[in-house]
Amino acid sequence: MLDKLGKNITTALNKLKNATFVDKKLVKEVIKDIQKALIQADVNVKLVLKISKEIEKRAIYEDVPKGLSKKEHIIKIVYEELIKLLGEKEQKLELDPKKQTIILLVGIQGSGKTTSAAKLARYLQKKGLKPGLIAADVYRPAAYKQLKQLAEKIHVPLYGDESKTKTPVEIAKDGINHFKKMDVIIVDTAGRHKEEKGLMEEMKEMKEALKPDEIILVIDGTLGQQAKNQAKAFKEAVGDIGSILVTKLDGSAKGGGALSAVSEINAPIKFIGTGEDVDSLEPFDPKKFISRLLGMGDL
Amino acid sequence: MFGSLKKKLSKTVSKIADKIYSKGNEEEKTEGNKINKINNEKKEILNKKENELSEVAQSKTEAYTKDTGVVAKYNAQIESPSKLEEEIEKKEKIGFFDKFKLTKTIKKVLGKDVILTEDDIADILEELELELLEADVAYDVVERLVESLKNQLVGTKITAKDNPEEITINALKNAIKEILSQKNMDIYELIEEKKKSKEPVVIVFVGINGTGKTTSIAKLAHKLKNKGYSVVLAAGDTFRAGAIEQLEEHAKNIGVRVIKHQKGADSAAVIYDAIQHAKARGIDVVLADTAGRQATNINLMDEIKKVVRVTKPDLVVFVGDSLAGNDAINQAEEFNNAVNIDGVILTKVDADAKGGAALSIAYAIGKPILFLGVGQRYEDLEEFNVDWMVNKLFGDEEVKYSTEREF
Repeated sequence: MLDKLGKNITTALNKLKNATFVDKKLVKEVIKDIQKALIQADVNVKLVLKISKEIEKRAIYEDVPKGLSKKEHIIKIVYEELIKLLGEKEQKLELDPKKQTIILLVGIQGSGKTTSAAKLARYLQKKGLKPGLIAADVYRPAAYKQLKQLAEKIHVPLYGDESKTKTPVEIAKDGINHFKKMDVIIVDTAGRHKEEKGLMEEMKEMKEALKPDEIILVIDGTLGQQAKNQAKAFKEAVGDIGSILVTKLDGSAKGGGALSAVSEINAPIKFIGTGEDVDSLEPFDPKKFISRLLGMGDL
Repeated sequence: MFGSLKKKLSKTVSKIADKIYSKGNEEEKTEGNKINKINNEKKEILNKKENELSEVAQSKTEAYTKDTGVVAKYNAQIESPSKLEEEIEKKEKIGFFDKFKLTKTIKKVLGKDVILTEDDIADILEELELELLEADVAYDVVERLVESLKNQLVGTKITAKDNPEEITINALKNAIKEILSQKNMDIYELIEEKKKSKEPVVIVFVGINGTGKTTSIAKLAHKLKNKGYSVVLAAGDTFRAGAIEQLEEHAKNIGVRVIKHQKGADSAAVIYDAIQHAKARGIDVVLADTAGRQATNINLMDEIKKVVRVTKPDLVVFVGDSLAGNDAINQAEEFNNAVNIDGVILTKVDADAKGGAALSIAYAIGKPILFLGVGQRYEDLEEFNVDWMVNKLFGDEEVKYSTEREF
């Protein structure tokens, strides 16, 4: 994942490394290359312009700290600005061991909520917790059966309503009553997008009824420039989105759209999905991620 | 969709047209200055002659009375430039109130041609570039579009008879058509043709995970059934949890049959069985689902190659997500390299997608987009072709999609 972006940015920075003399013109040229790399990775265009302006300003006017060459300083600036974008620290999913945690998964159609629900259950199970899954998508055909098959595979109990007589909110509420003894309850919901006002309203109701401890926005790694607006609509509907889970990063997607979402709704990426298998879920560490991206090893 | 792309394009058109007008205006101004200069020179000469005349008159008063003809001649000469001045003044007054119209009339009068230089439109094109990127047109496609626009506009002589708006719009249309240069394809014609030889048309759907293959199959089955064709579905996604059940439920809703095996069975075998079933029963169309797969996964790409090799479909349809950004191009290219795509269905267009992916995918693989998925109902599948898109982009019609849910 993100290999190409990393390569493009590294090529741009190598221009600096190989130059005998760093002047304004070269800095501008390098920044232009970085801009191109970020836009090709689907980072929001306005965001790219903002970051690159900041990098340019700092590269030209900031004093070079002791012990660093001008070139090293610019590379450091690029690194710092990209880190700023992702949030400085690795943010883990914090669970209060003394009480039951309710997690609500939301996102656009086909972004990978159902599979991620099972992956998350598996992840928590491996940590020694007892998770329960709730299938609260009554719209998509066989949504219940999909989660059922996944739950059986990882031996996690599932609550749902195959007869389709209950509303999603009712299913979720009943499910929580049903899972009194579980440590963590993960609620899978139907896919929806910002133009579907009725569904956004339903999601809001769901949030008010369940009072989840953590709302996770599941984002498709291939998502382009619309990531910003879609993420904003989700945040407006449910208020606090605690974390972002980026899926399909095992493909050719560069995940830049997810970065835009992060900066729009101010929530950290806590997990990334790297395959269809229930074990393909990794906690996300921004520093490691960016240094790998820039080919500079762990700083 | 296309609403914002449309707005962006029309903004560019008016900006370039404005540039042409203001450039014509400027040329006209320099021309006007030249006339003023000539007038001033004329005045000076006249003044001189007047002075000479009065000197002559003073010294030769007698001759003056005799020679009235000369004075009359000079008076006439003085009158004519002042008339010219008046006219220019009048034009400038109109210009103040209706600069736009004046530029045009003067240009016609003076025949001032405008030739745009690269510098003239550099800023406008740079802005267009950013706006197209924001509309999810992939980077390479944006560069190509802007380049084509530049080639068409820079150095072209625009005469007073031309309409700058029209010239700009045509240049943009050409640039877009150039990108969407692939042939349109008529799926119904294909079905009719195969019907004659009593063979089913076999369509296999491919794409990465979650783009909407299964749902698109259900929509297309619904559409074909409404047109009077018989359809059978093949549950070729034997991998994903709930995939077979999902297709079965759709089939029940629409009223068509599904041919299925167990979960984990060979995908090619299922589709092969569905084709045999269709042949035996004289069914017109086989729509085959396959599992979502990342183009970077070599094993799964080998599997889809095998499916296509064994089942020999008439059409391989790539299902792409219109919300995807630059990756849309990678996906389409990788799948096209593996299994040779014949056409594309673009989904989730109702999610306020800007439509850039339509341009990007078509450009990347040079294959036609057949349908757009525009909602959650079975009817929400719209036919697509290049002219349709160009009309949508440059026409007056607004596009609005349903947000109702059916499944």
